[in-house]
Amino acid sequence: MKHLTEEELIDQYYAEDSSKTGAEVHLRACKQCAEAYDELGRLLGSVRAPEPPPRDSEYGARVWQSIEGSLRPYQPKRKRSYFRLPQLAFAAASLVFLAAAFLAGRIWEREHVRQVVAQNPQQIKERVVLFVLDNHLDRSERLLVQLNHASVDGDQAGLPLQAEARQLLTDNRLYRQSVAETKDPLLAAALDHLERVLLEVANSPEDLSSADIERIEKEMNTQGLLFQIRVLRAKVSEQETNVRASRKGATI
Amino acid sequence: MGNDDHALIRAVLAGEKDSYGSLVARHSQSVFRLAFRITENEADAEEVVQETFLRGYRGLEGFDARANFRTWIYRIAMNCALDALNKRKSQATVAIAEEYDSQQATVQLADEAAGPDRLLLSREIEARRRAAMEKLTPTERLAFVLRHMEDRSTDEVAAALGIAPNSAKQAVFRAVQKLRQSLAPLWVKS
Repeated sequence: MKHLTEEELIDQYYAEDSSKTGAEVHLRACKQCAEAYDELGRLLGSVRAPEPPPRDSEYGARVWQSIEGSLRPYQPKRKRSYFRLPQLAFAAASLVFLAAAFLAGRIWEREHVRQVVAQNPQQIKERVVLFVLDNHLDRSERLLVQLNHASVDGDQAGLPLQAEARQLLTDNRLYRQSVAETKDPLLAAALDHLERVLLEVANSPEDLSSADIERIEKEMNTQGLLFQIRVLRAKVSEQETNVRASRKGATI
Repeated sequence: MGNDDHALIRAVLAGEKDSYGSLVARHSQSVFRLAFRITENEADAEEVVQETFLRGYRGLEGFDARANFRTWIYRIAMNCALDALNKRKSQATVAIAEEYDSQQATVQLADEAAGPDRLLLSREIEARRRAAMEKLTPTERLAFVLRHMEDRSTDEVAAALGIAPNSAKQAVFRAVQKLRQSLAPLWVKS
């Protein structure tokens, strides 16, 4: 028979009720182990806890009084107290305002850019038309000036008036047709007048005499046409400047 | 009781310092008893009780709401009691009891029939017990006090010491072994 070890005996002595099974059975059967267990019980039984001096019911109050003075109260945790502070509230409001302003700016810019992008194709087309028309009117003006000077000086030798007139005539037809679709009667009438002059010059003989030029000038009123062209050029230049200015403003 | 303790702790942490007075009143008796059984000195035990509740108050923010306040304050009390023991040892002018000497025991217990001898035996056992207790490690001493004198379960001892239940059981076992080695010859002779 295997006897209980010292550890098992001690374990049995302190064991809770639920674990007093196997060793108990053995102790009933084994006299040697039972004696050892009894000896252990007597020994541990003699080791009595020193009895504490009694304390009256006011002992706790006295302990509290003795330590109370050296204790500082805890500060209650204020979870949302930060927002009650005026400085922090102001800072928070400023942050919210800044964020709102930033967002509003972003939204406005996005919408504005969209409008500019939508307007741009029309504006670009208008700018190109004005630029080309201005160039055409400039060339036409120079031709008319040359024509008028030729009639005054009576010498047109070396002036390629016909060739220039032919080039301008082709362009002028295109512009006249384009302008006819718009509602600008002054420009349409001027281009129509210019076309007739150019047609006359272009179809004139190569050796254009001063008399021919004078005749054309008188019949076609080239002086009046020159004035009209200059007025139109000023107007076109002004429109072109306006378009350019509006485009810059939109970009900024 | 436990829920009441937790309510009082919440009140203390909310700034109601006086609620801690209720906790002190509720647990000071048991803390004193534990402190006395560890220190075996009334004045030391009183000091341990005060120090325990002071430390407890200052560490209350670290108290785990799921824990038991009594177990928690017991652990503090044990640490304070050990500090008191160490302090006392360092200041001791009287030597701790000597190792058991069987020859000396035989001489001391020569006459075992008379009543005064019985009284002498009891005193001798008590002296040996105290000497043996002094030789225990802090864990062994605390485990033995809680298990044998305070009649705490192994799990409670383990929780109070912050160790595993099996380690607590082993600590009790080693303490009993040491006490047995010191006291058993007296029983044999008696």
